[in-house]
Amino acid sequence: MLDVGRHPNITLLAYSELEKVEGEAGNFTATVRRKARYVEEDKCTGCGACAKVCPTPVEDLYNEGHAKRRAIYSWFAQGIPSTHAIDPDHCRVLSGKKCGICQKKCEAGAINFAQKERVSELYVGAVIVATGYDVFDPVKMPEYRYGQIDNVVTAMEFERFLSASGPTAGHVYRPSDRKVEARIEELEKKVKKSQKVLDRFERNHEITTHEFYGAYKAGNLNPGEDLEKDQDKWAKKYEAHLENARPLKTLREKAKGFTSAKKLAFIQCAGSRDLRFYPFCSGFCCMHSIKEAIIAHEHDNDTCSVIFGMDIRAVGKGFEEYKIRGENNSNVSYKRSRVAEITKDADENPVLIYEDTKEQKVKRQTFDLVVLATACAPAKGNRKIADILKIDVDQYGFFKTDSANPLDTSRSGVFVCGCAQNPMDIPESVAQASSAAARAAQTVINKNDKKAS
Amino acid sequence: MTKDILVLGGGIAGIQSSLDLAEMGFKVHLVESLPSIGGKMAQLDKTFPTNDCAI
Repeated sequence: MLDVGRHPNITLLAYSELEKVEGEAGNFTATVRRKARYVEEDKCTGCGACAKVCPTPVEDLYNEGHAKRRAIYSWFAQGIPSTHAIDPDHCRVLSGKKCGICQKKCEAGAINFAQKERVSELYVGAVIVATGYDVFDPVKMPEYRYGQIDNVVTAMEFERFLSASGPTAGHVYRPSDRKVEARIEELEKKVKKSQKVLDRFERNHEITTHEFYGAYKAGNLNPGEDLEKDQDKWAKKYEAHLENARPLKTLREKAKGFTSAKKLAFIQCAGSRDLRFYPFCSGFCCMHSIKEAIIAHEHDNDTCSVIFGMDIRAVGKGFEEYKIRGENNSNVSYKRSRVAEITKDADENPVLIYEDTKEQKVKRQTFDLVVLATACAPAKGNRKIADILKIDVDQYGFFKTDSANPLDTSRSGVFVCGCAQNPMDIPESVAQASSAAARAAQTVINKNDKKAS
Repeated sequence: MTKDILVLGGGIAGIQSSLDLAEMGFKVHLVESLPSIGGKMAQLDKTFPTNDCAI
């Protein structure tokens, strides 16, 4: 990534979208709209001082919604370019309110709320489409209750939990537990605030709140002139205080028992090899789940994982060995089964209902956390890009190619590689990308040669 | 007639294509819709089968 930012032959147009492409192979004119970042690229040093002071929290999609970023942000810490951007949907200034703290804080003077989007025209000989894929949304599978059971997550969410730079700093804490902890934090703030008010009453009237409230309720309070004025307010405040303090106590008790997730279930083919959604195999999910199980075990040696799938497709160099290594060294077991349903018990533990195909019995098993190996879905924007480039997509929405020319789209001079063409893993994407680069190079060289002759 | 090449998408595929072409001496315009390149791979912690760091 860093090399891309540094290479003298690469112009990086981040935060930009393709608008229009005209012309033919060897001679395209592409119109690209560069969205306004509201941060000057040549001035921003990427120090992040602005994001530290920004008061507006926004859901962090890079962390799959499990953390908060600010309205001024960098997509992720090591992102290239490191220039920050302001989210116009959430920024206070851009929605007409008073703020501008980031502008005051920025020593480089990079923040420019008046920045406009720019449209530039590029003259290119060939186009490579490498627009990737979308993670399948498992909300569409009602039987897995994703979104209803907190401890059912997607493979990408789990990946963020495992990451040292992720929302849980690499510990596999369960989302339901994190929710309780967030609630405790919220209640603590409220209780602290109301406690301050109660303390003031106590100081002014020289009795404890408890004594006051007892007498107030019993009706044998003997109020002086000062207390007469305050008594209703004080009682109300105390009642409101208890409303927060009582659940806080229960939640704190509950939180004492929280540990990281140790019993993991991985459910393969969530969305793929399923006639309701995508009939194809997404290719990388089996290996992805094995990898996540191995890394989770590496992090905490008490972790054990069960991978539920119709079969484990470990096709690739070193993949089968990796699968066996998981079984031998990392407490990973493989169960041939398609999980029918997930429910939960009283402690928010997901309960899997499945048929054990070896024993031919329907079983129920409780886990700490379930990871859905979500399908590689065609990117939503593919059809728009196909319209702009005037190329075809297949029945699912991946760019159409034929088996003899797997990188050539239906338009000469436009090539495709990676998951925009078909689901594939990283080594395959890299190999295809290099091939597509060679095809694009052929196109522009041949065209120029023709011109010379 | 131009020798420049447009790459759409700054994930691992787009990055690899761009670097290969740039090394061959072509001028590359790499367009990415998000504020930073890296794509899905930048969200991954480690990659199989070697457990190498993704970033």
